[in-house]
Amino acid sequence: MRPELKKWLTPGALLAATMCAVVFLWSTPFLWMLIASFRPDAGGGLGMASLFPDFTPTLQSYRYAIEDGYWPLWFLNSTILVTGTLIVQLVTISLAGYAFARIRFPGKEAIFYIFLLQLMLAPPVLIVPNLTTLVHLGLYDSLIGVMAPYWGSAFGTFLMRQTFRSIPKDFEEAAIIDGASWWQVLRHVLIPLSLPGLTAFSIVSVVYHWNEFLWPLMVINDPDKMVLTVGLVSFAQGAEGASDWGLIAAGTLFIMAPLFIAFTAFQRQFVNSFMSSGVK
Amino acid sequence: MFFRSAVGALCAGLIASSAGAAERIEFMFPAPVQGKLSREMQKLVKEFNSSQDGVEVVGVFTGSYDDTKVKSQAAAEAGKPPAVVLMSANFATELAMNDLIVPIKELAGDTDLDGLMQEFWPAVRPNAYFNGDVYSIPFQNSTPILYYNKEHFAEAGITKAPETWAEWVDAAKKLTKPEGERWGIMMPSNYDYNGWLVQALTMANGGQFYNTVYPGEIFYDHASTQGALKFWRDFAHQHKAMPTGVTNSKQVSTSFFSGKASMIVLSTGALTFVRENAKFDYDVAFMPRNIRNSVPIGGASLVSFKGTTDAQKKGAWEFISWLTSPEKIGHWSRFTGYFAPRQTAYDLPEMKKFTAEHPDALRAVEQLAYAGPWIATYNTVAVRKAVEDEMQALLSDPELTFREAAARAQKNADAILAPYAEQTALTLK
Repeated sequence: MRPELKKWLTPGALLAATMCAVVFLWSTPFLWMLIASFRPDAGGGLGMASLFPDFTPTLQSYRYAIEDGYWPLWFLNSTILVTGTLIVQLVTISLAGYAFARIRFPGKEAIFYIFLLQLMLAPPVLIVPNLTTLVHLGLYDSLIGVMAPYWGSAFGTFLMRQTFRSIPKDFEEAAIIDGASWWQVLRHVLIPLSLPGLTAFSIVSVVYHWNEFLWPLMVINDPDKMVLTVGLVSFAQGAEGASDWGLIAAGTLFIMAPLFIAFTAFQRQFVNSFMSSGVK
Repeated sequence: MFFRSAVGALCAGLIASSAGAAERIEFMFPAPVQGKLSREMQKLVKEFNSSQDGVEVVGVFTGSYDDTKVKSQAAAEAGKPPAVVLMSANFATELAMNDLIVPIKELAGDTDLDGLMQEFWPAVRPNAYFNGDVYSIPFQNSTPILYYNKEHFAEAGITKAPETWAEWVDAAKKLTKPEGERWGIMMPSNYDYNGWLVQALTMANGGQFYNTVYPGEIFYDHASTQGALKFWRDFAHQHKAMPTGVTNSKQVSTSFFSGKASMIVLSTGALTFVRENAKFDYDVAFMPRNIRNSVPIGGASLVSFKGTTDAQKKGAWEFISWLTSPEKIGHWSRFTGYFAPRQTAYDLPEMKKFTAEHPDALRAVEQLAYAGPWIATYNTVAVRKAVEDEMQALLSDPELTFREAAARAQKNADAILAPYAEQTALTLK
């Protein structure tokens, strides 16, 4: 081996090369989607699976996607859905997390574990019982009905309980000596100190509900309340062997755009909150 | 002041109730062959709504065929039964058996349903009946059909589409280029399509596949199905003319368009999609036969769930009659590529003109003379999956024999059917 080459083959360079390879593997689906969305004849022409652009890019798929979908309405509905879900969740998980972390009451451990059992249930099992409840409450075919089952989040409660427990009690005791009530302690001491945890949970919640398909499909009938995921499928899915890859790719890029932009803009804050909250 | 607002409220109430006089019913429909066609479906719904003012139909898009079943069933169980659902044609038997959908006569009043069914192709009738009653009205139907690339055929020196299994194998071998550069034949082996094609091959092999009269019997470990399993498997492992492993329908159509597959089997419902995307000279041909020409039908029919009000039932029937009228059913057929299950649609001038311009659409209709019903048993999906799992295993594992696979499929399916058989054919006094 030539000495110049040897100089380059340091462990650091090898690590960087491996990382690049992994990043490439991870981003392949995204790159492919990006390229497919600009490909002419995207119904599956020659070289459809190719990662390399071998064509003159066209905006045709985007045009079709815009023509076929009611995007502003779907974006609005999805936005209402994720914010409505998140706001209530933040309140309930903070309160429940506080109760499980700090308040002493009989059967606390047992109740907490029963609460956690929620995590073990596969959501499809709950479709019929949840729908029945929604019908009784008069929430069937409404966006609130889509949100409601998620308002008590076991994962969020668990996360907030852990976060509150990691905060030294001294802070609260100082506040209590100054005459703060429990909710003032929560509002002015614990919540500000658990922002990374709340942020991490918010990201998980928003991404999950933004991308969710089956549950909104089950609850919503009115086309005016359709959310993005169901909307995309309504014009891009083919049941018997047909699929317009370009259209699917363009539609998917539309859907992920807001989250992608938000993530790029606040990348550092997001990564930090995940690091300090321990959510993977 | 109070009086005025009270009068105002009363007026508003009256206006609202007179506007709400149209009976609102829900119509759930899955994605047809090509998703963007669901817009066309919404257009049809709008057209119906403006054509009369007694009924207001709300078109509800419900995803895939399976999602549609889950959603409509869940809604019915939760107390919101949909009045009209476009359901995979072979689910009607099971839904009727479980008492979830109503016989159409409950909607149709005095309409002579048996007479009406005579206007539909004989092949689509059996799936519409259960226990002597009509439970579903066919709307969009298909059969498996062979699509082939004529340019590849010319290049390989093949002059006509294969008609028998021997010719089919021969052609597939000639068309294949080594190292996966080109496959002679590709068929989708994902769930649903898989079972449909195993049934098609079994029927072409002389078999009946399931007991079309009694929903508690399936014939997997019988010569006709065994032969079908072996025939499909051999394409991959013995003749090396088909990729091994599970191939889904999207891969199949994509490979065909890109010239990587010379022959494919897909639904006739994909005809318009193929016509729009194949940039070469292609044609369609009957599914080749071993013992006889025969294929199962596929597609979807209109059903109505139990628990709706009389007014909704009346509205549902009005909508179903309108949608399945020869004009509308023919329009939908031309738009999608499905064949129109109502024979009388083909007597209309628009349809005659269309089939003259697109003779391939006529091929799908000609094949109907040889078509039979689609697997519909007790717990259809699970019974179908019993053979699909084995077919997928056969395509992936060259060591597995077709006899073992057929025996295991039979054993698993029998276990699923056992509760029904015990309650019916085996309950003797």
